[in-house]
Amino acid sequence: MARLNLDQVSKSFGTAEILKAVSLSIEDGEFVVLVGPSGCGKSTLLRLIAGLDPMTSGTLQIGDRVVNDLAPAERKIAMVFQSYALYPHRNVRDNMTFGLKFSGMKKDEIDRRVAEATRMLQLGELLERKPRDLSGGQRQRVAIGRAIVREPDVFLFDEPLSNLDAALRVSTRVEIARLHAMLRATMIYVTHDQTEAMTLADRIVVMNKGRIEQVGAPLDLYFTPANLFVAGFIGSPGMNLFSAHLTQAAETLTATTGFGYALPVKGATLASAASVTIGIRPEHVLFGETPYQAFSARVDLVERLGEISYLYCATVNGTPLIAEWRGRHTPSVGDTVKLSADPGTIHMFGADGTRVPDAVR
Amino acid sequence: MPELTQSALSSKSGFGRLALLVFFLGPAVVIYAAFSVYPLIATMALASFTTDQAGAYHFAGIDNFILLLTDKDWRGPFWNALGNNVLFFIIHMLVQNPIGIAIAGLLSLPALKFRATYRTLIFMPTMLSVVIIGFAWNLILSPLWGVSEGFLKFFGLGSLFQPWLGLEGSALITIGLISVWQFVGIPLMLIYAALLNIPEELVDAARIDGLSHLRIFFHVKLPLIMPTIGLVSILTFVGNFNAFDLVYAIKGALAGPNFSTDLLGTFFYRTFFGNQLQLGSPTMGATVATAMFLIILMGVCVYLFLVQRRLERHSF
Ligand SMILES: Nc1ncnc2c1ncn2[C@@H]1O[C@H](COP(=O)(O)OP(=O)(O)O)[C@@H](O)[C@H]1O
Ligand SMILES: [Mg+2]
Repeated sequence: MARLNLDQVSKSFGTAEILKAVSLSIEDGEFVVLVGPSGCGKSTLLRLIAGLDPMTSGTLQIGDRVVNDLAPAERKIAMVFQSYALYPHRNVRDNMTFGLKFSGMKKDEIDRRVAEATRMLQLGELLERKPRDLSGGQRQRVAIGRAIVREPDVFLFDEPLSNLDAALRVSTRVEIARLHAMLRATMIYVTHDQTEAMTLADRIVVMNKGRIEQVGAPLDLYFTPANLFVAGFIGSPGMNLFSAHLTQAAETLTATTGFGYALPVKGATLASAASVTIGIRPEHVLFGETPYQAFSARVDLVERLGEISYLYCATVNGTPLIAEWRGRHTPSVGDTVKLSADPGTIHMFGADGTRVPDAVR
Repeated sequence: MPELTQSALSSKSGFGRLALLVFFLGPAVVIYAAFSVYPLIATMALASFTTDQAGAYHFAGIDNFILLLTDKDWRGPFWNALGNNVLFFIIHMLVQNPIGIAIAGLLSLPALKFRATYRTLIFMPTMLSVVIIGFAWNLILSPLWGVSEGFLKFFGLGSLFQPWLGLEGSALITIGLISVWQFVGIPLMLIYAALLNIPEELVDAARIDGLSHLRIFFHVKLPLIMPTIGLVSILTFVGNFNAFDLVYAIKGALAGPNFSTDLLGTFFYRTFFGNQLQLGSPTMGATVATAMFLIILMGVCVYLFLVQRRLERHSF
């Protein structure tokens, strides 16, 4: 078990700079999830931590050692791959003991570790089987078992659930959470699925184009996204974003959207004539008469999920938005609805895309 | 497409169905029969006849084969050629295929530069005409004008030089090695392709497990490409027992010195077409050809039924 520290880590393939000065500290025993769109460099970062690829610059510390120049096996890490990467010609037991045997470990110790992993993951009946005779979920458990027997300081997972079907994904997710609670090891988990990220993480690291956009607890990211990217990425369906411009009249600063939605705002960094972005999550949209500023929109499509329904609407100037409706009697397609939101739930982002805290009153 | 054929087959009955089969299978069956099956059967049939002084054919059953295996004039050259052929095959298995595997392993290392250049250079001899190869190596190894003696002298090893192609003890091995040089590109390419098929994540997993590149090669990659190595072996076997051209190009049909480079191919050639003092005999030629066919058939059967079944194919 160990802390892990990345300091100004960069990675280039040829001239393409994939990771740009990433710095991140991970506490002992923490479960950190890296999320971000496909191709943003999550796997690359994980492979740098594992030592599978060399970094272009920067320092990586695991525990109190700088491990930049250590081979993967010397870093006290274990990795679970998306494709499971089990040795096809070895049975489950050999898959778990393969590395240990080559490291010259005593047989007693190997047996103890295998027995423990077997018990923890309920692999008992599978030990003599070859990987091709296992289902996807079983293969994933073996891959996790192979990581556990290494007794690493840090577990690395690269999209471990993305090859499983939906039901198995949920149950394996729960199992990984249980495993973390049991082992108390540091875990770094890569996914592009935000449900996985929200449910598993102590802290989420949102990445985009080789940079870290925000690091925080799941609900912090949801309620106070640091910038437009995080606002759009966390939450499903995504946050409604409206561009607006500021006008000063007497003492009050007002943000007005193209469809006439006007919000009184405040904030030291805000100045008249600046353009800003207003963000409202679908689940925070209110219908009908409220004490708040309102605007109208036409319902174009209704998606009924049962407990809730999503209304796909267009404002008077055609700006699309999504609103969540609770209950049974949804408006119909073509209806005009009156929409508003509690200022406390409205987000505001400045011209550079960063959050303006407490801007809407 | 399968549905289409299925429905076409089931909707028609009797004649219509037959017409369909003839239409789709006919051309292949005719071509295969005319150019493969017929010559094979005709050869086997010819092997069961003898000719008398007047040139008339008489049915002889398996007499020709008994002659080949027991007659004092036939048995010596036949066993000599067969023995040489086995040695020729062993040289390829011990030299060509391990070198092919090793080079393929090196080519598949991620850090390698100029990969395509090496690949092309190593494959080049395979694309050259055998006549050119025979001629070139004859010149290189010639004690009169060859460069090899001077080359060895340059390194102070001049005393090691021998006219290898001219000595009974070394001629076959030399030709075997020339053949290895010529054909090493084929196992190389097949095994290289198989190695590329192994997913990178598997190698990454082994690296995290602490295996060196060498151990990854022997404990992960090699077991996974066994089916390809089996395939390469059987291709080598069939190729070697049908070999003829390189020996003919370098040593001529007499496969000298003193038949020490005689393979079944050259032996067959002399038997069928005749050579110098030897008269050609179509029936004995057909007998040798049939014997070669049976030897190769046995080898392939041993491979298919004993070896291939034990090789596991892995999907990733
Ligand atoms: N070995 C490589 N050579 C060149 N480019 C690479 C290599 N590996 C990854 N990349 C590039 O780096 C970027 C990030 O890849 P990756 O880390 O796999 O993204 P993801 O966040 O989806 O895991 C991609 O644009 C990819 O094309
Ligand atoms: Mg990835």
